[in-house]
Amino acid sequence: MSLSDLLILLPQAFLLVWASLLLLVDLFISKERKVITAILGAAGLAITLGLTSGQWGSRATGFNQMVVVDNFSVFLSGLFTLAGLVAIVIAYDNMRRTGIHKTEFYSLLLFSVAGMMLMSAAADLIIVFLALELLSIPLYILAGLAVPRAGSAEGAIKYFLLGAFASGFVLYGTALIFGATQGTSLAGIMASIQSGTAELPLLVIGAALLLVGFSFKVAAVPFHMWTPDVYQGAPSPVTGFMSIGAKAAGFAALIRVFSLAFPSLAGQFAPIFAVLAGLTMVVGNVAAVSQVSIKRMLAYSSIAHAGYILMALVPLADPSVAANSTASALTYLVVYGITTLGAWAVISAVENADGGDTSVRDLSGLARQHPWLAAAMTFFMLSFTGIPPLAGFWGKFYLFRTAIEGGYTTLAIIGLLSSLVSAWYYLRVIVMMYFRESEAGASRAPSIQIAAILLALAVLVLGLFPSGLFQLALQALANGVS
Amino acid sequence: MILDQVIFLITAVVVLTAAILVVSVPKMIHAALWLILALAGIAVLFVLLQAPFFAVVQVIVYIGAIAVLVIFAVMLTRKAMQDDGPQLNRYSVLAAAVSLMLFAVLTGMLLSWDGANNLPVNPAVNPDTIVNLGESLTNPQGFLLPFEVASILLLAALVGAIYIGREHRAGKEEE
Amino acid sequence: MLEYLPLVILISLAAGLAVLVVILGHSFGPHRPTAKKGLPYESGMTPYGPGTRRMSVRYYLVAVLFILFDIEVVFFLPWAVMFRKLGVFGLVEMLIFIGILLVGYVYAWKKGALEWE
Repeated sequence: MSLSDLLILLPQAFLLVWASLLLLVDLFISKERKVITAILGAAGLAITLGLTSGQWGSRATGFNQMVVVDNFSVFLSGLFTLAGLVAIVIAYDNMRRTGIHKTEFYSLLLFSVAGMMLMSAAADLIIVFLALELLSIPLYILAGLAVPRAGSAEGAIKYFLLGAFASGFVLYGTALIFGATQGTSLAGIMASIQSGTAELPLLVIGAALLLVGFSFKVAAVPFHMWTPDVYQGAPSPVTGFMSIGAKAAGFAALIRVFSLAFPSLAGQFAPIFAVLAGLTMVVGNVAAVSQVSIKRMLAYSSIAHAGYILMALVPLADPSVAANSTASALTYLVVYGITTLGAWAVISAVENADGGDTSVRDLSGLARQHPWLAAAMTFFMLSFTGIPPLAGFWGKFYLFRTAIEGGYTTLAIIGLLSSLVSAWYYLRVIVMMYFRESEAGASRAPSIQIAAILLALAVLVLGLFPSGLFQLALQALANGVS
Repeated sequence: MILDQVIFLITAVVVLTAAILVVSVPKMIHAALWLILALAGIAVLFVLLQAPFFAVVQVIVYIGAIAVLVIFAVMLTRKAMQDDGPQLNRYSVLAAAVSLMLFAVLTGMLLSWDGANNLPVNPAVNPDTIVNLGESLTNPQGFLLPFEVASILLLAALVGAIYIGREHRAGKEEE
Repeated sequence: MLEYLPLVILISLAAGLAVLVVILGHSFGPHRPTAKKGLPYESGMTPYGPGTRRMSVRYYLVAVLFILFDIEVVFFLPWAVMFRKLGVFGLVEMLIFIGILLVGYVYAWKKGALEWE
């Protein structure tokens, strides 16, 4: 093995080694000092973030073109590690308060982040599959972290069964694509399509099966059924991490595979993506309106946001729009990630100590008791809705703009209308916090408050200076994808 | 070739029948036993595909270990032997329609592919498949990365299994 | 395909013998049932409790651990066949593979997953 191969995967390898050692070290840390495990876990993620950002600007393939490190992978790896860091900060307080401080959380979270990073660097369908499993298996267990709480067990088993089902689709699709192109490397598949040696019907079925598998992961309608139960049952910090991590990893795979390996199929898949995106936006937003539980509401909201992002994958066939639309998807992932982590941080703080479900009503009067948390939550809800000048507005702006540029005005209008619907349930949260009698109690732990406030600031700053993030996303595509 | 085809057809019938029985017999323990037959049939199919190593793996891992696990899991449940509740719920018709549609689409598209009608007869297969496998699993230019990632996957699954499988006494340990 | 013939013969012999013995015993053996003879066999003890009571979750844990290490062994086989040819390099790769699993083993041990009580 040439050393350069290993250097390419240094951040992932480091994180995996760190996570394994953390698992061992934790066994010898006494029960009162488990904070050390949390700090070590965060340190591992921070070092990984440093290592991965050092790779910005370079482009290299390794292990016989199975992995590729380019700005795209670094961009997403940064997102994953940061999401992991925030999740640890939120989780430490929440897990202690709800009596489920299980230190396996930290190792499993690190494993999952490593899987997501591997996914963003995957250039071979075998690696895509393995990364999908590596990021999912820890998430199944994290969803069940609060076992024997019934909701957590239910969420874990549903997530596991449907996740395994989705993996089956990915695997079958990979097998058919292998049959059609005699290879699993994305570059090889592209070459085979261009030289005309690929068996087209097989390839199309394979690609469609891959799409089904990934749609499960990003929770696109009609493959979204698991989302509300899992988001509701899993411990809130885990849900927060899952809502951005698993989704972004799914989109990483979609973008890599569908823009790198199948650009010539993009035209055929455009209508499918368009239908998926439209359905996902409408169903997600409409179903969220009637939810009593805020966890279920945010679950449907996460489905709706997956729909917005799917819109960016529709115009891939048009080379003049492809780069802009993929960049807007990346921008939206970051914006959505910050907002959703923030919202789940607030929920983690508000959650009852028995770890049961949290309803929208539980937030009533939060503004009087915890003005900072309430203010932060207001920012997140407004950003989700897409109110200027917050980051969420610009995220949607870029997505709708590229959809219109790509000639999918109808889709953009559907997106706009469903956003209007979404305003109803997001604003209801704000009304609850500010105009209802005080009932809410919340954690006074400074860590969680600081995290929420910092994330709210990020939403504001990215909203005031939106072009920087979009330019970064464009650069992320400059030396690799599209 | 004729012998191969006869064996294949018999095995296919056995596997499909067993698989249908797995999901249709009312008692779970019986379903688990039928599953073993289906898995054994898959091992025969691997032999027919000239992949003896995978046939052995199929027997060791699936029949030897996973089937045992499934039977244990069935015996963990409350009504291992007398589960005779309804087999279908109200979505069964819809599910059957969707599955049939998917099956029809996949079969139709596969049949429209000319490769399905003129498959290569007896392609040359290296007899030393296990040697090739060993070489490619340890070759960095082969499948070294998936090989090592697989071991990480096993580790994550191990941690998860122990975490979930431990006896959690509801709320007592934590408080 | 012919190299599998001995295997087929072995399987049919084993299965045939089992069926034959049961048939022989059933048709030629005396058949005088009593209540005591009809009891389920429990290693010579008087059986108690229902025959289908739930098993402890520990069995399941043992089975899961067995599967995971079973799969590990499956990965060993192709490497072991090629051991001499792969040399030190292959050994190091295998040690990494085993090392990762060893972490899991230590975890299982410390967490008491290998203990019965």
